[in-house]
Amino acid sequence: MSIICTENLSRHYGRRVGVDAINLDVGAGEIFGFLGPNGAGKTTTIRLLLGFLQPNCGRASLFGLDCWRQSALAKRDVGYLPGDLRLYPWLTASKALHIFGEIRGVDLRERGYELAERFRLEMDVRVQKMSRGMRQKLGIILALAHKPKVLILDEPTSGLDPLMQEELTCAIRELAAEGHTVFFSSHTLSEVESLCDRVAIVREGQIVADERLETLRSRALRAVELVYSDEDTAERVELPSYLRLVIRYGSRCHCELDGPTPPLVQWAAGQPLADITVGAPDLGSLFHKYYQSPGDLP
Amino acid sequence: MMRGLLLKTWYEVWLMTLLFGCALLGVNALLTYVIPQIQGGLIEVIERLPFVRPMLTAMLGTELGDKITPQTMQAFLWVHPTVLALLWGHTIIFCTRLPAGEIDRGTIDVLLGLPVSRRAVFFGEVVAWLVAGLVVLLMGYLGHCLTSPAIPDQLRPKSSRALVVLTNLYCVYLAVGGITLLISSLSDRRGRAMAIAFAIVLASFLLNFLSQFWEPAEQLAFLGVMQYYRPAQILQSGNFPAADIAILLSVGAGALLLGSEIVARRSICTV
Repeated sequence: MSIICTENLSRHYGRRVGVDAINLDVGAGEIFGFLGPNGAGKTTTIRLLLGFLQPNCGRASLFGLDCWRQSALAKRDVGYLPGDLRLYPWLTASKALHIFGEIRGVDLRERGYELAERFRLEMDVRVQKMSRGMRQKLGIILALAHKPKVLILDEPTSGLDPLMQEELTCAIRELAAEGHTVFFSSHTLSEVESLCDRVAIVREGQIVADERLETLRSRALRAVELVYSDEDTAERVELPSYLRLVIRYGSRCHCELDGPTPPLVQWAAGQPLADITVGAPDLGSLFHKYYQSPGDLP
Repeated sequence: MMRGLLLKTWYEVWLMTLLFGCALLGVNALLTYVIPQIQGGLIEVIERLPFVRPMLTAMLGTELGDKITPQTMQAFLWVHPTVLALLWGHTIIFCTRLPAGEIDRGTIDVLLGLPVSRRAVFFGEVVAWLVAGLVVLLMGYLGHCLTSPAIPDQLRPKSSRALVVLTNLYCVYLAVGGITLLISSLSDRRGRAMAIAFAIVLASFLLNFLSQFWEPAEQLAFLGVMQYYRPAQILQSGNFPAADIAILLSVGAGALLLGSEIVARRSICTV
């Protein structure tokens, strides 16, 4: 069953396109990465999902409920962390858990205190006296405290130190393991790569790719370094079609592998090589292509 | 749910409401004591400077007549610019908090990220505002009661009539607040919403004032909320201004309903 679903979802700001005909379908237990450069339409999509913005056309639904017309009902089991989190300056973690618990109709204090301990947040410090990282931790705690069935995070690691980023990753994995859905928006490839099962890439308001991470990995180029016994051999070598020479210096050839590794291994076995190094799939360059050139998509 | 929303509003407004209430208490206590003492001086000023009479008439919303009665003097308490400025200040500050204030400071995303309908958020704010306005007004009345034993019996207005004036003033407060909430519901900037609300209140005050001297303004006077607030008449006659109150309540309620519809239907997020 799809938990988050959008059909031709579009939102324009005057002449400017926010998002255009976005189609998403995220199932239970998935950690869904929503990746794109700044201004690509990630936050607009989230705001449409939460019913802040009315779509110009298309629809968005959470648990089958319309995000605009049944927004309050749809958000009952949603935890949300805004990208640019701003909290009331007088708020403390304990007051926030009390107030948010009253609004949600559940007691958030027990789990909230556990999370505060986990994320090392003091309960009685006012937001106005908190650092950016502390405010971000409080936002994360408030988003997680009611164990939401859908967790929507908009660039959640900003302001967090590496330890806390790791802690957040663990918390997200635990939630997903229990069958909860996570919608993780980011412009940082590495955090999406380490966490998500599936990734959609958004550029200029449109989805340009929506695939499982494994599929993307299999399509990504790998860096290959071939070291020959001498320079002459390196100059004379004829590379197979799936291996593209990037640069040659001396007896070393730096290449890009476009395809699976077994044919490369087979080909390399017949070569007078002193050494060979095959790198991990370079998702970075793949995403770079998605981000940059509309006419040159892989 | 509503309890949580009210709790949030309470944390934000209790200090402001207390300060406005204390200020009104102090001003009313002082004016109640001082106004009877300046009665003689005021008559002398009106005789020497005739243009003062229409100004006072405009403030009180009724003709002064040949002589200034004790009731007329007490009515000055309820139309004194300081008293009105405190009340309008409170209502304009309060009623621009949502949604303009929340959008302006960026907290609206957190608030609307919760499972609450926008109408619930709006009416939660309205309930808190109605209670806070009542508290401020009652503190003002308390200030009046504190010093009224110090003035002679014949100068002291009847409590029942003072309470009717208070009711009428509360209705003006509701009308101004309703209009301010409507402006706020259309705005993303609190400062802009406050400026527009202030300009409307000021225009209403000026219209009421100009209508005493200028015929075109007199024809438009019905548009200003101050036209429906005449404390001197109430104190003199003791009549309940049912028509004025009905008009003020209709304006307030209409503006609130329209405001809640706008909040429910418009796209709202941090800009």
